Amino acid sequence: MDQLLLILLNAAWQIAALALLALGLAIVFGLLRILNMAHGEFVMLGAYAHVIAGQLGLPPLTALPICILVVGLVALLIERVVVRHFYSRMFDSLLATWALSILMREIVEMIWGRAYRNVPMPVEGLVQLGGVSYPGYRLIVIFLVIAGFACLWLWYRKSLTGVRIRAVVNNPSLARASGINTSRFSAAAFVTGCVLAGLSGLLLAPMLGVEPSMGLDALIRSFFALVVGGLGTLEGLGIGVAVVGGVQAGLSAALSQTAGYLGVLVLAILFLWRRPDGLYRRR
Amino acid sequence: MTLFRTLAIAGALAAGLATAAPAEIRIGVVIPDSGPSSLFGPASRNVAQMAAEDINANGGINGEPVKLFFADVGVPPAQSAQAAVRLWRGEEIHGFAGMHNSAVREALIGQFRGKVPFVYSGVYEGGECAPGTWLTATTPAQQLAPVIPWLVEREKVGRWYLIGNDYNWPRDTNDAARDIIAETGGEIVGEEYVPLGSQDFDASLQRIQASGADAVFITLVGGDSVAFNIGFGAFGLDKQAIRFGTLIEENTLAGIGAAGANRLYSSLGYFANIETDKAKAFATRYADTFGADASALNALSQSVYDGIMLLAALGNAAGSMEVEAIAAVADGTAYESPRGEPVLKGTHADQTIYLADGTGAEFKVVAHFDNVAHGVTCD
Amino acid sequence: MGFIAAVNLALLGLLLAVPAVWGDFVTWQLGLYLLYGIAAQGVGLAWGRGGFLPLGNALFFGVAAYVSAMVLNATGGAFLPNLLAMLVCAALLAALAWGLAAAIFQGRTESGPYFSLITLALVLIVAQLAETAQPVTGGFNGYSGYDSIAGLDPYGNLYYLIVGLVVITSFCLMLLEKLPGGLILRGLVSQELRLQTLGFATHRVKAWAFALSAFITALAGGLYASHQGIVTPQATGFVLSSELLIWAAVGGRLHPLGPLVGAVVIGFLSAELRDTYLWWEVLIAFLFLIVVMMAPGGAVEMITRLARKLGWHAPKLTVAPNPAPPARAKAVNGPLTLRGVHVSAGGVHILEGLEFTCPARGFLCVIGPNGAGKTTMLKTITGAMPVERGEIRLGERDITNVPQYRALAHGIGRKMQIPTVFQDLTVDENLQLAALAGRTGPLDYFRVAPLGWQVPELGRLLDQPGVPLADLGPVAAGALPQGHRQMLELCLTLGATPHVVLLDEPTAGMSPEETGLMVRLIRDYQAQTGAFVLVIEHDMALVQSLDADVLVLHQGRRFAEGSFTEVRANPAVTEVYAGGHK
Repeated sequence: MDQLLLILLNAAWQIAALALLALGLAIVFGLLRILNMAHGEFVMLGAYAHVIAGQLGLPPLTALPICILVVGLVALLIERVVVRHFYSRMFDSLLATWALSILMREIVEMIWGRAYRNVPMPVEGLVQLGGVSYPGYRLIVIFLVIAGFACLWLWYRKSLTGVRIRAVVNNPSLARASGINTSRFSAAAFVTGCVLAGLSGLLLAPMLGVEPSMGLDALIRSFFALVVGGLGTLEGLGIGVAVVGGVQAGLSAALSQTAGYLGVLVLAILFLWRRPDGLYRRR
Repeated sequence: MTLFRTLAIAGALAAGLATAAPAEIRIGVVIPDSGPSSLFGPASRNVAQMAAEDINANGGINGEPVKLFFADVGVPPAQSAQAAVRLWRGEEIHGFAGMHNSAVREALIGQFRGKVPFVYSGVYEGGECAPGTWLTATTPAQQLAPVIPWLVEREKVGRWYLIGNDYNWPRDTNDAARDIIAETGGEIVGEEYVPLGSQDFDASLQRIQASGADAVFITLVGGDSVAFNIGFGAFGLDKQAIRFGTLIEENTLAGIGAAGANRLYSSLGYFANIETDKAKAFATRYADTFGADASALNALSQSVYDGIMLLAALGNAAGSMEVEAIAAVADGTAYESPRGEPVLKGTHADQTIYLADGTGAEFKVVAHFDNVAHGVTCD
Repeated sequence: MGFIAAVNLALLGLLLAVPAVWGDFVTWQLGLYLLYGIAAQGVGLAWGRGGFLPLGNALFFGVAAYVSAMVLNATGGAFLPNLLAMLVCAALLAALAWGLAAAIFQGRTESGPYFSLITLALVLIVAQLAETAQPVTGGFNGYSGYDSIAGLDPYGNLYYLIVGLVVITSFCLMLLEKLPGGLILRGLVSQELRLQTLGFATHRVKAWAFALSAFITALAGGLYASHQGIVTPQATGFVLSSELLIWAAVGGRLHPLGPLVGAVVIGFLSAELRDTYLWWEVLIAFLFLIVVMMAPGGAVEMITRLARKLGWHAPKLTVAPNPAPPARAKAVNGPLTLRGVHVSAGGVHILEGLEFTCPARGFLCVIGPNGAGKTTMLKTITGAMPVERGEIRLGERDITNVPQYRALAHGIGRKMQIPTVFQDLTVDENLQLAALAGRTGPLDYFRVAPLGWQVPELGRLLDQPGVPLADLGPVAAGALPQGHRQMLELCLTLGATPHVVLLDEPTAGMSPEETGLMVRLIRDYQAQTGAFVLVIEHDMALVQSLDADVLVLHQGRRFAEGSFTEVRANPAVTEVYAGGHK
């Protein structure tokens, strides 16, 4: 019984972490049709906000505004200088963002070196749930993710901005004609996606440690979650991370981590091949 | 471009302008400056300079001064081999020394083919018997044989769980560990391997908890080790079991942090704060030479010093840098090292092994074992 | 062939001179880069000529390298068995690639990210398996301790074997560019949908491109095992896959030699930078970014453009005109019939039980207000949109939901509403594709003669006074004015001499003179071939001039049918048109 509860909690954590990681990628792909290969590097940059705060001698909580500021500015710069030339050029955008990912990683190495860094858990200690003691910080992150996604969904469905976003996605030229500034919209969407990636890095850093090459794993995991759910919808993302997180956790628990890793890859291939729209379809 | 440089040299030769190079022993240092282990590059370079200074201060190799040439072998094996060969051919290298992963070592040995002496250092799985290759690298037998009985005695543990990355070094190390654990009367309650680059260890941690293990032997590397140990601490498993690893050096421990490092043991041939006179002198000199901000010392980076010192000792013993001459005299060669008094037995070194406790994210050496046999037999 | 051939021969001479001039180390280094370059040629072919981006081609490279290493180990390096093993292994991997691509691309007309991500996942799986299966592959530390092929020295004679492979792959790829197969690949990248309506199963065309890509890459991998003396999981990893892409992108994916140049130049550049500059990866990444942004065609594309500006044109293959074989379409043995056809898209019902029978030959005009479902009807007949309920028959044959590329084989040709010619190809090349459509057998892709095929019906059409296309041969089709484009589109539609011709607004955007010419051309074709021609038209004068039966569509149903006079006299039709602009 306790084992089952622990498995469920672990699955919840995996899904929450994956949803957090993949959200930014989903937004950028869903709204702009850009496969952002530098997504993982924005996650990494967000995690380094802890390091910046530490170096400046600021309290740990200031890492949050630092993260938003630094990641936001870098994303804006990249959007203006590079990415905006690549809307509707899928393959070229993939290659360009990938070159950017190498650049970002190397520049971070230049500034902060390659050493591993530890970020102390903001909330220490275990919480007793039934017969299971679970890390308190994880429970907080799970809660934040659930709350955040609920707000996001409501906002996207109900607000005027949500309507505008859907208008631009469904028919860019018509949206432009009805007075929506699509260029500013694109920049805002890209920056938002990247800042969300950064925030996920910020939140997950205490569990993973920080290092310059931490982004690749985040990228690949997000990609495949996105693929299974269906590229580019919020609901699809939720289903995708649940399935991928569940399969990985299940196979890892039943067989081995290698089986879990291979299982997710095979699952992704099957979905890309047979159900390219993913599990969730709008209709 | 190589082509242009080679052309220029060819042109200079043709014009009869070439002057005889001063007699010197040219040593190629093959260490990672890119890729995941590039972390160890800067400190490796620093200790290599220290080794060259020490060798030259003591008359060089056979009376000739030593000069170092570096090649980056942090790239995949094919490109690494190419970088090393480029150095070998381009700079007329007399001998190689360095620390890198085993795939790169195999690729290098495949190119050297015993035609140039090569000393491999660091930590590895054992079993390397290629001609012309000598090793100061510590083997599983060295890092485990004296340490496991000591831990069993001290911590009263007997139920072992083995976790490692899914590749050669962890599997071969665990092969050695199983025998030694059996000899101490302990049992293995679980063994698993995870892909390189894993970040999520929940399933493994749950299995460890359920297995009732009181000791976990870790052969995870780099970021994987960091993530595993953070999770281990976060779940409070440090109260259930001690942990012990053979590749947890100072960088990894820094990544793990104090909250995840309680009762985490590490056995290696070197730690930055070993309290012997030799080791202290070495660390002080390192800090004085390269500054307090220099890349920190650890077992992997420091091993490059040992490798170069062994290469010099071999050259001096043989009176030449020819592989055949060295092979004839290599057995029994001693070399200078802050680790202690290592001596070559066959092609590997018997040496001192240190066991440190990482509690508080700061290594504290709790035991050392002198003259530990490397256990590698070549025929 | 003069100038270009001279340049290629000079390059080959340079390659052969390398061992003598620069010594064995440069030779060895260059050998490695050339092997990578050949693998990158495979990527360039798939990407530049197939229009899809493989993110995992190291899969073929690495697996072939492992297999070669194991066979070398088992046979002690004997030349013939190993050569045979390399070829068999490459062929098997090519077959795998063919099946993979055919399965993925079937029923899809875009090459989007799906294929790329699948190959990425595959290469991750194989690399993980290579690492895990230590007893077989040697694991992370690699598989080593075998002899090279025929005992050739990687610093010596193996180089010539590599150069031999470079020559063979480059020659074959350059030859392919000149053959119908290459033309079809370029058509594929330019306008995949149109190629399907010309009867080419594009998913199979892509599968062949990917198979060839895999074959080439696997051959390079086979020699790599001999060259390196060790095979590690990195040979089949994601990183190498991505490097193959970088080399192809920087060198130029549109030219067979581009990826080779990319691999060799970046190879030497990074070897040099690595030793002198700690942050060499930044420079390589920056170079890559600049190329992607500023010169998407890569270095060789820039060079060829410059050459063209200087007036050095690649020589055209001159092909003697020869009669085209008859079209392979099945004989049409009855009229086109729609029975209760329902079609919807995006939740909107477009056709709701459409039902009518066309005449077996002659003309039928289809009119109706906007949104009546006219274009959808044509799309449905040619398999471009799926029928939900109902049935479409052509004579005895049920052709409901045939794949789009099969429509022509049933004798159905369709002209699109918006002319979709192959914009990146010249007018001549468009016309060559028109003649190839519906006539090619498997061997024809690799013969020169089909490029000179003359179709009498097309020839007659082009010879008509007023048809401008004959003089516009070398002009890019994308540069044509609308009227000329409509003519070219008509040629593409009629090239395969279809028995059922579906024309969607054939005179839109044309001047009155051009319209008159167009009507003459269509009438002439019908008179010659006895075909059935369905015309969707808004221009009532034109409908009248065709003097054919008229079908009125309204809200996805047959609304009225009859002669032009009857339909015009029908008050209900007038009302639909007057009030029907919803």
